[in-house]
Amino acid sequence: MEPAVSRYEVNSLLYRLKKDPEFRARFDRDARAALADADLTEAEREAFVAHDMRRINELGGYLHLVMSIPGLAAH
Amino acid sequence: MGKIVFAGAMSHVLDPDYYQRACGDEGRQKVTACMTEIARMGERFSATRADALIVVADDHLNAFSFNAVPALCVRIGRTVQRMKQDRAEAFDAVLEHMPDRYPLHEDLANQILERGLASGFDLAMSWEAPVDHAFLSPVNTMHGTRPIPPLVPIWVNCFVAPQPTPKRCFDFGRHLAGVVGASPWNVGIIATGGLSHFPELSLPRVGETDTVFDRRLIHWMERGEHEPLQELTVDELHKTGEHEFLNWMVLLGAVAPARAQVRYFGELRRINLAAVEWSLP
Repeated sequence: MEPAVSRYEVNSLLYRLKKDPEFRARFDRDARAALADADLTEAEREAFVAHDMRRINELGGYLHLVMSIPGLAAH
Repeated sequence: MGKIVFAGAMSHVLDPDYYQRACGDEGRQKVTACMTEIARMGERFSATRADALIVVADDHLNAFSFNAVPALCVRIGRTVQRMKQDRAEAFDAVLEHMPDRYPLHEDLANQILERGLASGFDLAMSWEAPVDHAFLSPVNTMHGTRPIPPLVPIWVNCFVAPQPTPKRCFDFGRHLAGVVGASPWNVGIIATGGLSHFPELSLPRVGETDTVFDRRLIHWMERGEHEPLQELTVDELHKTGEHEFLNWMVLLGAVAPARAQVRYFGELRRINLAAVEWSLP
């Protein structure tokens, strides 16, 4: 079983990207700026900036979120 | 004296366009065949004129974010709304043509909750959580244009570790049977999701299934052999892509010792589609 708690930051950010259109628009305009206050590791931050959903999933992002964020979803 | 008058379990992304995109013509053909069987199951359910339909399904990180993830949650209140998602992608888009609001069977939900808390099931409750495709795709496919009876949506945490055990889910199903049996209502129950897909919830493994494991589960369900099913572990379900079988375990507890009859089983590279119905006494 994979640890649940350490996944929090990545997944709460994925959830926000899915459910908050205004935040998603800011992320689309400038991902690095939108993530400035996010408590992410450098690896996590770079994966988000690169829109690399496969890497985000490897880093603990839940599959159903990485597959369903409007405009960013991996299929 | 109440009774469970219908029991079925089925896959829950029931959309030919989704499977056309994911799996081509074969995907469209197989999900259409599966939906045809689910619609027939719905006709048989409607013929029972049941007072309520319990729907056991999972949240795809839509209703519950990360402020709380309940192991088992009963939706209470008078109505439930479908999930809304702007620019819906993939399985979320399945919801878009469906009605917005559905009636709930408030009294049955409250009894499941109250008697559960009194007998050792520390259930969560929600008045507000919306339901996603896991609930509404099967319910609408079963009913078509016929009226949908009052629902009792119940969530099982199938994805966010640590999940409830298969044994715990089975025992919760026994609790549901006890509540229905002591009630004045005739009730249907469906469990949704699966069968094998998305092993280990790993994006590179989307497209893999474990058909051997699916057939083992089906073998046990067809024979009413519920002991080995209760001995399954969450880790086994995670590795084989059977996460959503936890929903089915609740139904199995509710209908035991009834035996399953497979109405449809179809292999796709993305998911093995299934529709199963139980022969009830």
